[in-house]
Amino acid sequence: MNPGDEELVASAQQGNRRAFEELVERHQRKAYHIAFGFARDREDAKDLSQEAFLKAFSYLRNFDGRSSFYTWFYRILVNLCLDYKRRQNRNPAETFDENAQNQVEPSQAPNKPRAPDQEVLAKQISLRVGEVLASLPARQRTAFVLKNHQGLSIKEIAELMETAEGTVKVHLHRAVAALREKLADFA
Amino acid sequence: MAAQTPALPCKEQEENLVLFHYGDLPGAERSDMQAHLQSCAACAAYLRDLTALMPLTIETDQPPQGFWTDYNREFRHKLDGLAERKNWRQRLADLWQPRWLPTFATAAVVALALTFTLGKGMWSKNDPTQEDAAIMELLPVAENLDFFKSMEVLDDLDLLESMGGQGNAA
Repeated sequence: MNPGDEELVASAQQGNRRAFEELVERHQRKAYHIAFGFARDREDAKDLSQEAFLKAFSYLRNFDGRSSFYTWFYRILVNLCLDYKRRQNRNPAETFDENAQNQVEPSQAPNKPRAPDQEVLAKQISLRVGEVLASLPARQRTAFVLKNHQGLSIKEIAELMETAEGTVKVHLHRAVAALREKLADFA
Repeated sequence: MAAQTPALPCKEQEENLVLFHYGDLPGAERSDMQAHLQSCAACAAYLRDLTALMPLTIETDQPPQGFWTDYNREFRHKLDGLAERKNWRQRLADLWQPRWLPTFATAAVVALALTFTLGKGMWSKNDPTQEDAAIMELLPVAENLDFFKSMEVLDDLDLLESMGGQGNAA
C-alpha cells in the first residue's frame, strides 16, 4: 500500500530524502499546471514549481500538520506565482519579449487540426486573455486561475489564499465579470 | 439591423450565476437558480456566455515525457545543492548549541588568566635591567664629579700657598 502524504512528510522530516522526492513526483504535474496558469510560459512554470518544492524542502521542519501537506505546499506555490506576477508587472517590456519566445501554443485535441482562420482566432483570444488576466488584481487572478483552470473548490481556494470563502466568491465574481466583458466579442 | 447589446443579468444574481456555472452553488440555491433561469432571458444569456468564454481562458500545456525526465534531473541537482548548503549551515549552527557554550566560556577564562599571569611575570623581569642600565650611565658622571671636586681643592691649596709667599715677602 502506498504511503500517504502525511507518512512521506514525517519520513522526510526525519531526513529521508527519498520520501521528499516521492512527494515531489506526486505533486509535480499539478504544481507545474498551476504555475503555468499564472506564467503561461513553460520555462517560467518549470522554475516556479521547482522553486516551490525547494522552499518546501527548506521549511519542511516547520510544517506542523495543522493543514494538509497539499494545502501547505500549494500556498507556497501560489505566493511564489503572485510574486512572479508582481515582478512581471514592474518590467512589462522585458517580459513581453521573453514570453514571446517561450509561449506555448494553446493545446488542442490531437486529432483535430485547426483551420488557418481558427488558428488566427485562437491566437487573438490567447493574446486578449493574457492581457485581461495580467490586468486583474493579484487576488482576483489567483481565485480565478485556481477555480477556472484547476477546478479547486471555494473552500480549498480560501484555505490556500488564507481568506474567507465569501471573499473568494467576490474575487471570482469580479474576475469572471471582467473577462466576460473583455472577451464578449468572441462569444 | 442594429446590433443588440446583451442584457445585463440581474444584479443580485450575478455572483450566484458564476457559482452556478462552476457547480459551487449548494442544493437549495441551485434549485432556485434553475427556476430563475427558466424565466430570466438576461441571466440565461449571461450563463451561456460564461459557458462559451471561460474555457477559452485556459491555456494548458502538455509537455512531452522528455520534459519530465529533464525536470526531475534538474530538480535533483538543485536539491543536492540546497541539501549541501543546509548541511554546512547546520554544522555551523551546531557549534552554537547550548552544550558547547560552557566549553567555550571555560576556554576563554583560562586564556585570559594565562595572559595576565604570564604577562605580569615577564614585565617585572624587565625592570631591574632598566634600573641597572640607568645606574651604569650615572656612574661615570659621578666619578668625574669626584675628580673635579678634588681639582677644585688643589686649586685652593695653590692659592693659599701663593698668598702665604706674598705675605712672607712683605
